Amino acid sequence: MLFNSLHFFAFFIIVTAIYYLLPYKLRWILLLAASCYFYMAFVPVYILILGFTIVVDYIAGLCIENAQQKKRKLFLICSLFANIGVLAVFKYYNFANENLSSLLHYFGVNNPVPFLSILLPIGLSFHTFQAMSYTIEVYRGNQKAERHFGIYALYVMFYPQLVAGPIERPQNLLHQFREKHLLQYNNFAEGLKLMIWGLFKKIVIADRLSIYVNTVYNNADQHNGTTLIVATLFFSVQIYCDFSGYSDIAIGAARVMGFKLMSNFKRPYFSKSISEFWQRWHISLSTWFKDYLYFPLGGNKVSIKRWCFNILVVFIISGFWHGANWTFILWGAINGFYLLFARFTQNIRTKLTSLTGLSRLPKINLFIQVVITWLLTCFAWIFFRANSTKDAFEIVKKIFSTGGAVFTEGSSVMVFSCAGVLFLFLVEFKRHYYNGLFSLSNNTNRLIPKFYYCLLVIMILLVGVADGGQFIYFQF
Amino acid sequence: MIKKINSRTGKVLAYCFVQLALFVAIVVLIDFGIGNLLQHFYFTMKRGTQYRTTYAIEKTTADIIIFGSSRAVHQYDPLIFEERLKLSCYNAGRDGEESTLYHYAVLKGITKRYTPKIVILDLMNGELGNQLYSYDRLASLSPYYHTHPELRSIIDLRSKHETLRKISSIYPFNSLIISIFTNNLNARKEKNPDIQGYLPIQSTKIITKALSTYDKTEQYDLDSIKISVLKLFIGECNQKKIKLFIICSPYYEKETGTDYSIVNIEKIAASKNIDFFNFGQDSFYLKRPELFCDVLHLNKNGATIFSNTVAEKIMLADKSRTTLQH
Repeated sequence: MLFNSLHFFAFFIIVTAIYYLLPYKLRWILLLAASCYFYMAFVPVYILILGFTIVVDYIAGLCIENAQQKKRKLFLICSLFANIGVLAVFKYYNFANENLSSLLHYFGVNNPVPFLSILLPIGLSFHTFQAMSYTIEVYRGNQKAERHFGIYALYVMFYPQLVAGPIERPQNLLHQFREKHLLQYNNFAEGLKLMIWGLFKKIVIADRLSIYVNTVYNNADQHNGTTLIVATLFFSVQIYCDFSGYSDIAIGAARVMGFKLMSNFKRPYFSKSISEFWQRWHISLSTWFKDYLYFPLGGNKVSIKRWCFNILVVFIISGFWHGANWTFILWGAINGFYLLFARFTQNIRTKLTSLTGLSRLPKINLFIQVVITWLLTCFAWIFFRANSTKDAFEIVKKIFSTGGAVFTEGSSVMVFSCAGVLFLFLVEFKRHYYNGLFSLSNNTNRLIPKFYYCLLVIMILLVGVADGGQFIYFQF
Repeated sequence: MIKKINSRTGKVLAYCFVQLALFVAIVVLIDFGIGNLLQHFYFTMKRGTQYRTTYAIEKTTADIIIFGSSRAVHQYDPLIFEERLKLSCYNAGRDGEESTLYHYAVLKGITKRYTPKIVILDLMNGELGNQLYSYDRLASLSPYYHTHPELRSIIDLRSKHETLRKISSIYPFNSLIISIFTNNLNARKEKNPDIQGYLPIQSTKIITKALSTYDKTEQYDLDSIKISVLKLFIGECNQKKIKLFIICSPYYEKETGTDYSIVNIEKIAASKNIDFFNFGQDSFYLKRPELFCDVLHLNKNGATIFSNTVAEKIMLADKSRTTLQH
C-alpha cells in the first residue's frame, strides 16, 4: 500500500478514527492488525519473514536480559545472525552468486550454485535494522526487554515507518505504545500538515522530476553531458523529495495518533560540508551506523589510519545497505572518501579561505561551501542512480567531456520540474535561514496555514503526477 | 474524572472535526472554481494536441476518419485521401496513444454525433501487449469525463479508483494548465500547424549507426482488455456500417518474423471480414532514409507516397467489395 494512493488515504482515515474510538488498552491490537494489513497489501507471504525476525528478536531480548555476561553475548550474536541471515538470503544472495559466476567464468568454470527466484521483501533493510537496534540496546542495558509480545511486534511493524523508516530506537518508540494518547488538536493539525507537505514533495516534485531523470538515465548513451548534468541535479532533488516526502508522511501519520517519530531530514542540501550533510540526511540510518558500527569500531578515538578504515567501512556498508549492487557500494565509498579528503585538507582550506579573503565575507563563503557540498553529493548520486557501474562511469566521462544543448522532455515537464524545484528551494531556504520570519505554514492566524495547505492540495491535483508509482527507498 | 476526560475529548474531537471540515470546504470550493475555469478554457483552445482531440470528438463531420498513434498523425495526409477518394477526411490520430483504448473512446464520441463512411485504424507492433502505460495514457481523455459520458467506460480502465478521482473538478485537467494557457493565447502562433489533424515532418533520417535486424518472432503475453476493445472497435464500425481498414504502416528497419500483436490483429481482422493491410516490412520503404525522419516515422515525402498507396488500396478494396456484392 503506497502512501500516495487512495487505498492508503481510506486506510489512514479508518484506522485513525477507530484508534481514537477504542479504549487505549486495546489500541495496540488495532495498530498491529492495521500494520499487518498494510504490509500484506504488498506481498502477503512476506509477513512470514517479518514474523520470523520478530519471534527471534523477542525471545533474544528476553534471553539477553535474563542471562549472564557470556551468554548475553551469545544470544545477541544469535539474534544478529538471524537478522543478517534474512538480509543475506533475500537481499544479497543473488548478488553474491552473480559475482561468483563472473569470477568463475573468468577462470573458465561454470557456477554450480543456483540463483533464487525471489522478490526482495518491501522495506526489509529498514525493519531488520530496527529489530537489531532493539536487541543491541537490550544487550547494552539501555532498554528493558519487552515482555508483551504484541507490543514488541508493533515496535517492529508500526505501519507508518514499517517499510521505509525512520528507523526508530526502542528507547524512543516502545514506551509510546503503552502511553495513553489523547486526541490533541496540535498533534492532529501538525500531523496532517506534515502529511500534505510530504505528499506535495513526492507527487508534485519528485515524481515530476523522475519523468526527466528516468528518460535520461535509462538512455544515458543517447544524451550529451549537459543533459546528464541537468538530470543529475534533478535527481538530487528527486531523491530528496521522494524520501523526505515519505518520512514526512510517516511522521505525520504517527503524529495524528499522538506518536512522535524521530525526524529523518533537516534540509541536507544547505549543509556546509559533507559531514554536516550526513548529520542532516537520512538521520535515522546515519545515527544507526554511528551508534552500532562506527563507535564500536573505535570512532575517531583511534589512530588516523584506523579512523580512515572506520570511515570507509561504515560508508561502504551503508552503501551496500541500500542495495545489492556495485553502484551503491561505490556511492558509499565516494562519500567515505569525501570525509577523508575533508579531514586531510582542513588546514589547507582554512588557509585558502583566509588568503582569498573569503573569511571576511561570511555570506559568500557560506554560499560557496553550500554549493560545493551540494555538487559533491550530486556527483555521488550519479553512482546511486545509474543502472550499472559501467553506465555510471560513462555518464561521468560524458559530463566531463561533452556539452551541447539540453534535452527537454516536452516543455511542460521542464516547466513543472523547474517550478517545483524553485518552490522547494524558496520554502527550505526560508525555513533554514529565516525561520523566525513571517510563516505561511505556522502563522498564528489559523486561516493563513489553512489556505496555504489548501493551496498545496490544489497543486497536487493540478500538477501532481497521479500515477507516479512507488517510493525509491521501498526497494531497500 | 472519566466524565471530565470524555467531555474534554469530545470537545477536542468536535474542534478537530470543525477545522477539518472547514479545510475540506475551502479545498472543495477552490477545486470547483479552478476546475470549472480549466474546463471552460480547455474547450476554447484553438490549437494543439488537446484541441485536435476535442475537434475529433465534438466537431468533425468528415467522411473518412483516421485513427492511430504518432504513426497516424505524421503519415496520413487527409488532403490526398480527399483528392483520391472524393470524400472529406480528418486525421484523429494522437502522438503517444499507442493503444486501441484511446481510439475506441474517440470513435464512440464521433459515432454518437454522426456516422463516418470510412475509418482507417493504424496499428503498430506491440499494440496488444501488456504495457501498463497504455492505461496511464488514457489520462488524455480525462477532460471529457464529465462532458462526454459515452467515453467513461474506457477512461475508467485507467485505474479502479478513477471514478473517485474524478470527484475533483481539477483532476481531469491535471498537468494541462500550460497547454490550456498557451493554446488559448492568440499571440503565439503554432510552430507546425496541422492540416486537418495531419502533422507532416520535414526532416530526413540521419543514419548514425549500422542497420539492425530485429527478431519479432517472440510470442509475448497479450492484453485481453486491449483485444476486447479492438473487437468492440470493429463491432462499432460493423454495426454503423462504416468501412473499416486496419493498417500497419511501414518500418524503416528489417524484422525477421511478424510481431505477435500484428499476427493476432490480422487474425481478428480476418475473422471479422475486415481489410488488413500490412506495410510493416514493405520492401519499398525498408532502409530508405530519404522517406523517414526516424526509424518509426515517415517524413513528408514518405507520408505523401504512403497516403497515395493507402488511398489506392482502399479504392481497390472498395471496388472488389462492390463487385462481390453485385
